[in-house]
Amino acid sequence: MAEIKELTKKLKEAHEKIKAEIPWEPIGHTPMPEIPDLRSWDMKLLQTYKPWYAPFCDLCCLCTYGKCDLTEDRRGACGIDIGTQQARFVLLACLMGASAHASHAGHILEVLIEKHGPDKKINLGTSVELEAPIIRTVLGLKPETLGDLKIAIEYVYKEITHLLDSTAMGQEGSCLDYESKSLHAGMLDHVGMEVGDIAQIVGFNYPTSVANTPLVDLGWNSVDKTKPIICFVGHNPATSTVVVDYLRENNLYDKVEVCGVCCTALETTRYYDRAKVIGPYSRQLFYIRSGIADVIMTDEQCIRTDMPIEATKANSALIATLDKVMYGLEDATEMNTDDVVKKMVEEKKHFAILDPKKAAEVAVKVAMAIAPQRRKEWLTEQEATELAKKCNDCGMCETACPNLFDIGQGVNAVSKGNFDIIREQFNYCIGCGKCEEECPRNLPILKIMQVGASKEKWKIRSGRGPIMDTEIRTVGAPITLGTIPGVVALVGCSNFPDIRDLAEIVDEFARRKYIVVVSGCTAMAVGMWKDADGKTIYEKYSGDFDAGCVVNVGSCVANSHIAGAAIKIANIFAALPLRANYEVMADYVLNRVGAVGIAWGVYSQKAASIATGFNRLGVPVILGPHSSKYRRLYLSRKEEDEWKVMDARKRQIVETGEPSPEHLAYVCETKEKAMVMIPKLCIRKNDTPQGRAIKLNHYISLYKKYMGGGLPEDLPLYVRREPDIPLVYKKEVKAYLTQIGWKPKEPVGLPTLIGTYPTKVPVDSVIH
Amino acid sequence: MSQLAPLMPYHRVNILTGTRTARLVEDPAEYAKQITKAQRPLLVLGPRLLKLTLGEKLLLEYALDIAKAKNIPTCATATVKSKMVELGVKPDSVYDIVEIINALKDPEWKGVRKEGNHDLVMFFGFRTDLGEQGLSVLKHFAPHLKTMTLCKYYYPHADFSLPNIRKDEQWKNFLEGLIDNLKKGE
Repeated sequence: MAEIKELTKKLKEAHEKIKAEIPWEPIGHTPMPEIPDLRSWDMKLLQTYKPWYAPFCDLCCLCTYGKCDLTEDRRGACGIDIGTQQARFVLLACLMGASAHASHAGHILEVLIEKHGPDKKINLGTSVELEAPIIRTVLGLKPETLGDLKIAIEYVYKEITHLLDSTAMGQEGSCLDYESKSLHAGMLDHVGMEVGDIAQIVGFNYPTSVANTPLVDLGWNSVDKTKPIICFVGHNPATSTVVVDYLRENNLYDKVEVCGVCCTALETTRYYDRAKVIGPYSRQLFYIRSGIADVIMTDEQCIRTDMPIEATKANSALIATLDKVMYGLEDATEMNTDDVVKKMVEEKKHFAILDPKKAAEVAVKVAMAIAPQRRKEWLTEQEATELAKKCNDCGMCETACPNLFDIGQGVNAVSKGNFDIIREQFNYCIGCGKCEEECPRNLPILKIMQVGASKEKWKIRSGRGPIMDTEIRTVGAPITLGTIPGVVALVGCSNFPDIRDLAEIVDEFARRKYIVVVSGCTAMAVGMWKDADGKTIYEKYSGDFDAGCVVNVGSCVANSHIAGAAIKIANIFAALPLRANYEVMADYVLNRVGAVGIAWGVYSQKAASIATGFNRLGVPVILGPHSSKYRRLYLSRKEEDEWKVMDARKRQIVETGEPSPEHLAYVCETKEKAMVMIPKLCIRKNDTPQGRAIKLNHYISLYKKYMGGGLPEDLPLYVRREPDIPLVYKKEVKAYLTQIGWKPKEPVGLPTLIGTYPTKVPVDSVIH
Repeated sequence: MSQLAPLMPYHRVNILTGTRTARLVEDPAEYAKQITKAQRPLLVLGPRLLKLTLGEKLLLEYALDIAKAKNIPTCATATVKSKMVELGVKPDSVYDIVEIINALKDPEWKGVRKEGNHDLVMFFGFRTDLGEQGLSVLKHFAPHLKTMTLCKYYYPHADFSLPNIRKDEQWKNFLEGLIDNLKKGE
């Protein structure tokens, strides 16, 4: 009885927060879900997609009870086993990622509420009425103002605290429950990202309700070295936008170059299309060490933690602009502006300045003062050759390389005047600088690698934000029927293993009329490629959310618009109510929306939380080869596992025998293998025969292209009846199916997992 | 089987922070003995076999000679199958590395020849970081089998590993010695 009372009280509180009295849609079963509320959905997913753990370490070192050896069925002093310990680490990683985005969102929201007031209306343009699909689905709240977004971010903060609590010594003891918590953290991450990007679009007046946003300059050679240069590093545009304002107000915008590395660069181009994008995180140390930047301004996330040392070495000035990263620098927020400028110019001091206006003024004045005195040239081939002559090819650099390549071979070739190898190696280099650290002769390897860097300029389409409702109305049917073969979203960092892989994947699938979506550093990496006609991906393909187009949604937090698009298909196209209806939305996406995420070059914890959020929503994710270091994948075993769904039309549970999607989190060792996995992971049980035939056509043709001919071993699992067979391969496939004794299967009317596991959601909910 | 003294892996990103490390084997005869002793060995082939050569010979060809010498079933991962087909060899199974490891974890799995799960799994031709993580899965969650590596690097999470070999000639000699020893044991 007491328990029922408590639940009612909780529900009442949730209803108050989400303004339940506003009847824009009926409220679903899980308004503002807490840890247990979506647990049954998670457990259903985990029953098929079981966690696969690859421990980094035999030990648990998290408390003073240990270290504890967890090998050979040993448990820690607290009772934890090795699998649960891995799951705990994965949850911690997801929480780091989710909190990074949530904190960014919360900060930018505060800044923008201070600027515009809490009642500033959320207006994402005439083509985006469904402004916050994730917040509406998860919380049940329809945010109308910036102030409403605070309700969403406070919910995220609260849940993150609960989840973090569960990782303390002597708490959760089940790996599956830790996984459910990781899935919860991933979902919260998507809420946080959506809060952040909606706030930014509204508060900074970023482009919205438009597909083909401006093409902006990309690559370090796009920056005019003759001008003073301010370089932003990080993710949060709170200060970079104010720098742009300062330049505009003082009529200096054509006298100072504004550029950036990582997501702040992308954000700044959404505000100011004359800003330049240097490149992804992997280019950070190269660019900083080149000394081209006069002033470096850091904000948060993906910033070198040794930035003051690097800035000093490069003779650049450094301003830390956010409290999360202050580097032990003196806080000059309250100091007189001219005094700060003087100390930075004359004494070469770095400062933390937490007031964006003051930071902006100082940055511009310092850049203009020091630029004329600084040498800003790339290393010449002759200089590189001289430096490289010290290399004795000892191989120590190779042993330290996280991307496992032999940079010594390239440096050695440079010493002989051969630059071909180092040019090639520059594409693999993740820019960590570990090789230099190991070099017994202290060679400046990253500096030498400047000669391997392309001096080309490219174009990137600035981030466009949410997918428009009008676009969803156009593509909803072909995506769910399968005639648009899939949505391929390449997200996150682009460091590993070869930066060129991403553009090749994008080009392959855009040509095949998939909808391709990119974000974050990946959006930059795919721009660093040109076809035979000299066109970049963004010049070659339109920015619409449609077949054969390439959409750059924007920075890390704009990833929320990709998840949002999947939800919009269920809500706008299929007319399923989304309010506090997470299970229904996720079930729809899992069974009917052929979408796959590619997190190919990722290294950060944010990638873990973004991917895990997609997984809870029913979107499978392919990771690059190094990503087994994330410790956990979600894999099925297609021939052994059950593939039962409810046929919602017949109200019958049926065994389909069809592993679609086959995995939820998967590592591919090579780009070529990923090319084969992508079309397969876009297959859904809802595909019409025509749609399935199109999807299988791509699966077979890519298999033949990269696997040396023949037919995929698991093809019979995906052919339900003869019309599913692509026309081009009909004869070959039919002969093969006959040979193995394949039998046709009855198609499933409305495939859903609802009704196959304990849930409050009735089967009727999935029928529109 | 394993030894306590840790040895530094070649790629330091794979440094072992643990308690159980692979037994380092330098003698091909000892490797051949372990393989011969196994009831149902499996050779898992990675994509680096397609990129590297020893002398005139592609590394994949050494792998196929090892398989042939003792009729060891093969598992082609990534895009290895394409080259095998070109060389006129049909792999016994095609899985990606994470998939085959997922199957190997299950003691009830029937194996690639449906004769029961394997008791010795040899890995050859993987990125060291992915290989090492994969071996860690089996070390912790597949006590019913032993693992062995044939690459020129030390893999701490395996049961048996070669040392870090700087000279390819030494590696070539080892692989040829292994093939000879396996043939002798026929």
